[in-house]
Amino acid sequence: MKFVDEFRDGALGQKVAAQILGVVEPGRHYKVMEVCGGHTHSIYRYGVDDLLPENVELVHGPGCPVCVIPMGRVDDGIAIAREPGVIFTCFGDMLRVPGSNGTLLDAKAQGADVRMVYSPLDALRIAKAEPDREVVFFAIGFETTAPSTALTLMRARAERVTNFSCMCNHVTIVPPLRALLESPDLRLDGFIGPGHVSTVVGARPFEFIPADYGRPVVVAGFEPLDILQAIHMILVQLAERRCEVENQYTRVVPYDGNLRALAAMAEVFALRPHFEWRGLGFISQSALRLSDAYADLDAERRFAVPGVRVADPKACQCGEVLKGVIKPWECKVFGTACTPEHAIGTCMVSPEGACAAYYNYGRFARDRVVA
Amino acid sequence: MSACDPHDPHCITCGDVAVEMLVVEVNDSLAVCEAEGEAREVEVALLEDVRAGDRLLVHADVGLVKLA
Repeated sequence: MKFVDEFRDGALGQKVAAQILGVVEPGRHYKVMEVCGGHTHSIYRYGVDDLLPENVELVHGPGCPVCVIPMGRVDDGIAIAREPGVIFTCFGDMLRVPGSNGTLLDAKAQGADVRMVYSPLDALRIAKAEPDREVVFFAIGFETTAPSTALTLMRARAERVTNFSCMCNHVTIVPPLRALLESPDLRLDGFIGPGHVSTVVGARPFEFIPADYGRPVVVAGFEPLDILQAIHMILVQLAERRCEVENQYTRVVPYDGNLRALAAMAEVFALRPHFEWRGLGFISQSALRLSDAYADLDAERRFAVPGVRVADPKACQCGEVLKGVIKPWECKVFGTACTPEHAIGTCMVSPEGACAAYYNYGRFARDRVVA
Repeated sequence: MSACDPHDPHCITCGDVAVEMLVVEVNDSLAVCEAEGEAREVEVALLEDVRAGDRLLVHADVGLVKLA
C-alpha cells in the first residue's frame, strides 16, 4: 500500500538508526515523549525502541483517549445505559474500561442494551432504525475524533432525529501537554507530536512548547520509519541548539489543520471549564461539552447522571505511567493482577495504552530492558 | 480494516489511527469508500471536491485528508 510499505522498510530503518547514533552526545541521557497512544502502539509493535541507543529513552504520554477517562465518567455512562428504553453505543475499547462497579460490558451482561459502534454515524443509523428507543453515543477521543461527533450531531439536527443524544467526553491535546510540562517530576527533552490530531488542529497549536518551554516538537506519522525519523529530527534540533515545531508527516498534516473540521467543532462544542483526567487530575479547559446550540442533544441534560468523582484503585499506578514517571512494568500490579483480560487500570485496557502495548508486544524483552 | 472490536489487537478509532480508503462513489457529503475489501459510508464534508478514485485518510467514518 502506498505510504505504508515504504515506511516499514527494515534496511532504511537501520540507516535512520545509524543516523540517530551519530547525532547523540555520549554521556547525555535523552527523554523523548510520544504524545499519542497510536505512536506507543507502533513503537512496541515494531520494536522501534530496540533500534535506539541506550541513552535515548521514549516516554509514553497521555494520548490514549480511553486511558484518560476517569472512573466517574464510566459510572455516569453505565447509569444512562441502565435507563429503560436506552440503546447505549460506544467504541469497542470503552466497553472494557472499569468503573467503580464494573464495565459497560458487565452492564450489558446484566441486561442493558449496550452496543459497540465503529463511528458516531453508526449510532445515528441505529437511532433512525429504532425511533422508539433513545440512542446515546458515548463520545471519546481527541481532536481526531471530535469532528466525526460534530458532523453526526449536525446531521442529527438537520434530519430531525430526536431520539439521538451524545454524552461528550472529548478531550483536547494542548492542556494536558502544558500540565505535563509544568509537572516538577518530569524532565523531557522533546516531543513526538500526534500525527492524526494534527490533521485537524495542524502543527501550529504546538508552537507554545518551544516558545514557552524550550522543547522541540516534531509531528510524526505512525509507521516505524516515521517515528524513527521524528526522533532523529528532534535529536538534530537538540544538537544544533534549535528549538521549533517541525512536521515530519507533511504527506498528511497541513500546518494549519483542517479549517472545516475546526469550524464544525466550534459550532457543536464548547470548552468545559475543567475536566478530570485519569492520573493527571483536573485540567482547566481541557475537554469539550455540547454547545448551548446543541444542548437538546446532550445526554447529560437528557438523563440524570450521578456525576460522582471516583478515586482510582490504590494499586493502580496509571497516573504515573501516563505522566511517564514510571515504565509500565514498574507498576506494582503490571502483568499480575492487571492484564488486558482483567484490567485494573485503563492503560491496560486499550491497545493504545502504554501498559497493554508493552504487555502485548514488549513483555518478553522485559528482562533485557530492566537489565 | 476491522471494525472497532475489543478483541482486536488494535482499535483504529480509539487509537487515533486513520485509514487510507478509496472513494468509490460520492453522494453529496457522503461517499462510499473501500479499504481491504470492506465498504463504508464516509462523511466527506470536511474535504473539497471529493471524486471517485480519490484516496482519503479516514477516521471514524470521516474523511480528514485527501491524499495526493
